[in-house]
Amino acid sequence: MIYEVFARKSRGEPLRHIGNLNAPDDDLAKVYAFNTYDEEKWFDMFVVRRDMMHEVFNRLDSGDTGERSAVLAERAAGQRAPVTP
Amino acid sequence: MSTVLGGAAKAADLTPDVRAAVRDLILVLADSKRLLGMRYGNWILGAPELEAGIACASMAQDEWGHARLLYALLKDFGDDVEQLEHGRSAAEYRSIEALDHEPGSWPELVAINAFVDMALTIQLEALTQSTYLPLRQRVQKLLEEEAFHAAHGAAWLRRIGRAGAEGQKTMRAAVDAVVPVVLRWFGPDSTRAHALQEASIIDSVGSGMRARFVERAAALIRDIDGSGFSGLEPDFSNFDESTRRTPGTAPDERTIAQIRGDRNRAFLMD
Repeated sequence: MIYEVFARKSRGEPLRHIGNLNAPDDDLAKVYAFNTYDEEKWFDMFVVRRDMMHEVFNRLDSGDTGERSAVLAERAAGQRAPVTP
Repeated sequence: MSTVLGGAAKAADLTPDVRAAVRDLILVLADSKRLLGMRYGNWILGAPELEAGIACASMAQDEWGHARLLYALLKDFGDDVEQLEHGRSAAEYRSIEALDHEPGSWPELVAINAFVDMALTIQLEALTQSTYLPLRQRVQKLLEEEAFHAAHGAAWLRRIGRAGAEGQKTMRAAVDAVVPVVLRWFGPDSTRAHALQEASIIDSVGSGMRARFVERAAALIRDIDGSGFSGLEPDFSNFDESTRRTPGTAPDERTIAQIRGDRNRAFLMD
């Protein structure tokens, strides 16, 4: 299973996505996250199973084919997707 | 005798008997951690998954760091630290016998991870209030790093236990090979052990640490196949208390040659 790893440098700072890892269960996911991402001095760290994360929305699935291809093109070019209301 | 905070700031402040026993204990711990790091290090490549290999790298690094720190303490006892770290033959090592040979399979490494690491941790915990202050000041940091070693060992033990009858059998056999050695390693309740306890160097003699180990290990062992384990009474008839080993035994020479750096001697500049 894939787990996503989140951490922050200090209390009050927003959680930051710092990577992911493969683990068979929550216990090993926690150990692996510590071993793999402990190089920086984090204030706290969390893991969550990727399939436990509920997507609220995703611009690629918005049905706007024009925007979709523009986003894909920008991704391919290594740029960030535009944030448009 | 100069005492600070109700303890000895230097080895010279300890009585000769106690001083010799403390020096022995530190060397036993340092050598065991050095060897444990080597055993972990050998599984950085070849662990069952990439993340487990990274865990082995991380644990090896921790153990080597701890060994370094413990060897450095022995300078206070008049030891030549460089010689201790890089100048000894296998027969002079005092590492726990459960680390004498390279584990032949991942379950064997997991058994070492779960129970040898646990034994070293219990030994360190018995030193957290030590009146030999240089040791006491360092033990807490070591124990913090050990928490993730225990979590890794326990999680893998349960995982292999869940993997079916074959996994349970293999895991159980590996555990049954390690646990009696570890129980004996804590040593007898001898005059020497009591002297360390009375000087408040350590908070327990061998039987006390053995009881702590049995309590902690029993829960883990139940997770493998549901069966318990009895605290086997160790046989100390051929046990050297200063090395915590059977006289005449030693870790494998190949690993000790790696530790000494035999193949790289030509590159040493100083």
